[in-house]
Amino acid sequence: MNTETATPKEQSDETYSIHPLSGAATVAARTLSAPLSAEINAALDASPKGEVAVRSLDLRIPLLEKNDILAERNRGYFLGRGLAALNLVSSPGAGKTTLLERTLDEFAPQTKCAVLVGDLETDNDGNRLRRPHAPVAQITTGTVCHLDASMIARAAQSIDLAGVKILFIENVGNLVCPASFDLGEQVRVVLLSTTEGEDKPLKYPPIFKSANLVLLTKVDVADALGFKREVAVENIKRIAPQARIIQLSARSGEGMADWYAFLRTLAGAR
Amino acid sequence: MIMHELGMMESALALVQRYATEQHARRVERVVLRIGTLSGVDPESLRFAFDVVSRGTTAEGASFEIESIPAVVFCRSCQKEFKGDNGGFIFQCPTCGDFCGDLRTGKEIELGRLEFS
Ligand SMILES: Nc1nc2c(ncn2[C@@H]2O[C@H](COP(=O)(O)OP(=O)(O)OP(=O)(O)O)[C@@H](O)[C@H]2O)c(=O)[nH]1
Ligand SMILES: [Mg+2]
Ligand SMILES: [Zn+2]
Repeated sequence: MNTETATPKEQSDETYSIHPLSGAATVAARTLSAPLSAEINAALDASPKGEVAVRSLDLRIPLLEKNDILAERNRGYFLGRGLAALNLVSSPGAGKTTLLERTLDEFAPQTKCAVLVGDLETDNDGNRLRRPHAPVAQITTGTVCHLDASMIARAAQSIDLAGVKILFIENVGNLVCPASFDLGEQVRVVLLSTTEGEDKPLKYPPIFKSANLVLLTKVDVADALGFKREVAVENIKRIAPQARIIQLSARSGEGMADWYAFLRTLAGAR
Repeated sequence: MIMHELGMMESALALVQRYATEQHARRVERVVLRIGTLSGVDPESLRFAFDVVSRGTTAEGASFEIESIPAVVFCRSCQKEFKGDNGGFIFQCPTCGDFCGDLRTGKEIELGRLEFS
């Protein structure tokens, strides 16, 4: 290849550059710009042996798994419909369904809500959540210990989302696997109940790290259990300084107003 | 966990092949991934996954490298960055002691660099 005649491109508005000697091409943009291909073709034509030196591309393209691609699609779909999707994650029995039951009774009559609920085997939670004013779809996952984006896409198609402002997704009770499956939600809510111990966030950092909101649930029984709320809050703040924290009880009603205010802001923002 | 890595390498290889075609490459010589230390991805599984998915493609036998990206956290109080690699997922500013959540690098799972001949 005749390097003498190659001239470096110096246009500042271009997103790529080619080194005249090494032939190395550098692209900043996510996709290769057409002029770059043209330039390499020109270099190929100009070279007597029909080849250029080893070329390299600096790409920095995020690698998405299939689930991430579907999750992005869900996110776009939800945004397009003007609804906020919340992914509720916790250990088994932390109080997700109980919280949603009360929320559907007290909050959903004013602001239209829908629920997708995942469970390994039964449709018990789906039945508990059935209300005339709120569409509910049960997702039975069988042996799969988490919801994934494709299950959400299918279930969301199965209910009427007209007028819905808030879509609750109750994930399968599990603090590990749901952490790595983006569903396309806007808000990830992690529930920690007072029956679980204050150090849960330290033991399961990834899920707490990914939370936008942490709900400390069943605070009505905290004292009886000797559960130290301040210690739990301190631990949550260490792992997840980015997250809002709300302490509540779906039984006594404490903190429910804060939760509804959070939801109202979300619904208003759409 | 290897399922994750396989899925990622499948998307990576699809990209590699797209660029290889676009570049009229005879062979892919080198594939470099950029992997953050807190990405949760296992480099050894990635290597294994690359061997599996590249078999029979123009990328078979290419040199496969992983550039490890350290965790850098930004402290809002101090308005400066600090290293976040020690102490797992707890990021405490060494200057002011605040717990910080603004992770600037360290979660990358990226196709970094490709070389063709
Ligand atoms: N004391 C008290 N108990 C609660 C509260 N919320 C839920 N519970 C109880 O906790 C148990 C589990 O509640 P669920 O709402 O079914 O929990 P869940 O997170 O949906 O459980 P899975 O779907 O199985 O993971 C039930 O016995 C509830 O009555 C609360 O605020 N206070
Ligand atoms: Mg439930
Ligand atoms: Zn600081």
